[in-house]
Amino acid sequence: MKQRRVVVTGIGVVTPIGTGRERFWTNLLEGRSGIGPVRSFDTSAYSVHRGAEVHGFAVENYLSNLDAAHLGRASQFAIAAARLALADANVEIASLDLERAGVSMGTTSGEPREVERFDDLFIGKKLERVGPEFLGLYPSHVIAAHIARELRFAGINIMIPTACAAGNYAIAHAFDVLRAGRADLMLAGGSDSFSRITYTGFAQLGAIAPEVCQPFDRYRKGMIPGEGAGVIVLEPLSSAKHRGARIYAEIAGYGLSCDAHHMTAAHPNGEGAVRAMKQALEQSGTNPEEVSYISAHGTGTATNDRLETIAVKQLFAGSAYRIPMSSIKSMLGHTMGAASAIEAAACALAVYHDRIPPTINLKERDPECDLDYVPNCAREHEVRVAMNNAYAFGGNNASLILRKCESLN
Amino acid sequence: MRNRVVITGAGVISSLGDSSSSLQLSLCSGRRAVKPVELFSTAGLGCPLGGEIPSFDAKKYLGRRNLRPLDRTSRLVASAAQMALDDSGWSESMRKQQEVGLVLGTMFCSVHTISEFDRRAVEVGPGYASPMDFSNTVINAAAGQTAILHNLRGINSTISTGITSGLQAIAYATEVIRSGRARAILAGGADEMCFESFYGFDRAGLLCRSDESAGDFPIPFDKRRNGFALGEGAALLMIEDAHSARERGARVLAEITGHGCAYDCSHGEDEESAVNAIALSVRRALNDAFTGPHEIDCLSASANGSYAGDRHEAKGIRTGLNGQTRKLPVTAIKSMLGETLGASGPMQTIAVLETMRDGVLPGINGLEQVEDDLAFDMISSDNSEIDLEEALINSVGFDGHCCSLVLAKVQ
Repeated sequence: MKQRRVVVTGIGVVTPIGTGRERFWTNLLEGRSGIGPVRSFDTSAYSVHRGAEVHGFAVENYLSNLDAAHLGRASQFAIAAARLALADANVEIASLDLERAGVSMGTTSGEPREVERFDDLFIGKKLERVGPEFLGLYPSHVIAAHIARELRFAGINIMIPTACAAGNYAIAHAFDVLRAGRADLMLAGGSDSFSRITYTGFAQLGAIAPEVCQPFDRYRKGMIPGEGAGVIVLEPLSSAKHRGARIYAEIAGYGLSCDAHHMTAAHPNGEGAVRAMKQALEQSGTNPEEVSYISAHGTGTATNDRLETIAVKQLFAGSAYRIPMSSIKSMLGHTMGAASAIEAAACALAVYHDRIPPTINLKERDPECDLDYVPNCAREHEVRVAMNNAYAFGGNNASLILRKCESLN
Repeated sequence: MRNRVVITGAGVISSLGDSSSSLQLSLCSGRRAVKPVELFSTAGLGCPLGGEIPSFDAKKYLGRRNLRPLDRTSRLVASAAQMALDDSGWSESMRKQQEVGLVLGTMFCSVHTISEFDRRAVEVGPGYASPMDFSNTVINAAAGQTAILHNLRGINSTISTGITSGLQAIAYATEVIRSGRARAILAGGADEMCFESFYGFDRAGLLCRSDESAGDFPIPFDKRRNGFALGEGAALLMIEDAHSARERGARVLAEITGHGCAYDCSHGEDEESAVNAIALSVRRALNDAFTGPHEIDCLSASANGSYAGDRHEAKGIRTGLNGQTRKLPVTAIKSMLGETLGASGPMQTIAVLETMRDGVLPGINGLEQVEDDLAFDMISSDNSEIDLEEALINSVGFDGHCCSLVLAKVQ
């Protein structure tokens, strides 16, 4: 049976290096960093002080139906990214069958700031100030629900909180929903807000870099927590063609696996990561030699970057050295559940423009990280197939394959 | 073309029993788990009631495994998983050879763990927050911990859609198996009883209040209902590709023939919109199962005693089944278990599997004054005997999510 093909026709992002596809892509290619001193909360009790926050974000520009006061920060980012993606795809909401328009989103923490507020009031013995709004603001599923309520999308509505790989999971699920013919259009991506809880946790793991994020560099010192949202518009190829939409890329397939090894540390030889990549290649009918770009998970921690390199070499063998593999977390920090969604957006743009964003701050080669990480400067390079890798707490691994659309037409 | 999907085992930790049969026995003897909460103080709250699992001890199910890194939610899930693996015959050695996945539905995973981690950092200093606790603050923590404990290396996903999380997780796993991507997945859901979520529900005015005429408990579809009681637990099903289940000689409990979902953009505030979304979810599930309203032998309703929610569900089901609900036997087990959130849909599913086996559909505990105009004639506090071939399981959130599942007996 002929499978429905699914394509990316719209991109919406809210990131530490800019909101909206154009600004994001320009800054990505220019190698701009969104990392600075943390403003969200006081970090004086911490030994690290930098983060990748979104500044100057005005949610009012994106709201027609909901009230910003009843929305947590991750929901606000998500709605903005969803609106931007729809506008980018040139989709008129009025033209949609809303019962067949769905939302699939990922997150690491949902709306952690709402718990932080709860905790502050609990500690201050003022818990009575937590009112009926808490239940509407906090649980993670409200992020996808808020997008649907703002846009009146009445189809499938799902939140997949698989931590730092959640964006890929959400896109993969939307892809399945469309392939099964369960929706006409899906908004898929991820969202997370900067959070004291996340920052504390990574600080306690000793994982946060003091100054910059420098994935794959010999002297890399860790990741930088960030925030943001990425949402893409997915629709069947037939509908995209029918309405004459711009097609950034086709979603060709994905692979998911679980290390079942350790909550926070990856398997020592990248076993689960290899299985996810392998499955993604097989399911999408892609030969390893066809892969022309890998968007690395590339957090900038000593272990992640080393293991990811091992895993890619294990799967691609000698050809691993010929595949450019960059980490845009060097610029964006780690935007948690949004990260792989924003990276999927970057992959779609790389496929569309045949340009690869760099890994910035890569100064000295690590003998254990010896692949082509596209150091410091963007590169023109034909990107027929991009692989987007993401790994998460819980040993959740997800690889997504995006492909240039005309290559299959 | 799609692969057929069957259920080959179940595991459940509930306030009314820690096996499918003991749960069914409790439900059919009208036992009620909803009692004054003992896990934390409810002083100052409007509702003092909940369906806790008294003296839950994961060691009973997991033996001498290292449970120190697991919080309450993870322990509930890991325990239910052990039972579902045993029940379906997926031994440790088989799991070494073949990948088994885990798809867990949960509304909160553990907001208690998250909150305690944060409060310690704020009160004592960030340098005193525990890295081990941090790994449990992610919403996929229970799925990750359970995968580690039981060596589940296949697809590992966590689904959050509020109350419907667990049923949505089963639907998700069903799709993954249908498409040939996996052969065996543990799917279901869990949520724990904790102060933080309890407080949220209480302040939102959703929990049942003491009422002399009604008694202190939730009564779905009753005129006197005034809210639900929170419960807790975990329930997982082993879901397999029918062909590979047959090949390995597995006992098949039922087939999952269809699922559907929809979202009510009014999040329960507009009756028409809420009813339409529930009806759409039901119709989608029936269409997906290639079946029709007249084929459905019973309904396991999501109804939990919430004032508007139960009415919306009854009307939505009636619309979704083209008005053919008069002779439909209906049960609502949340009258006894309380609202177990992520665990609720999977618990309903397990209860339906039991009814399929023994032919007894539990009555709705406490139901005396059926709400007017429900269009359900076969609704009662008494158990009924039915010959169950095909069942509709429904799950509806208080804030807009709807999910439905169709189960069929396998001949």
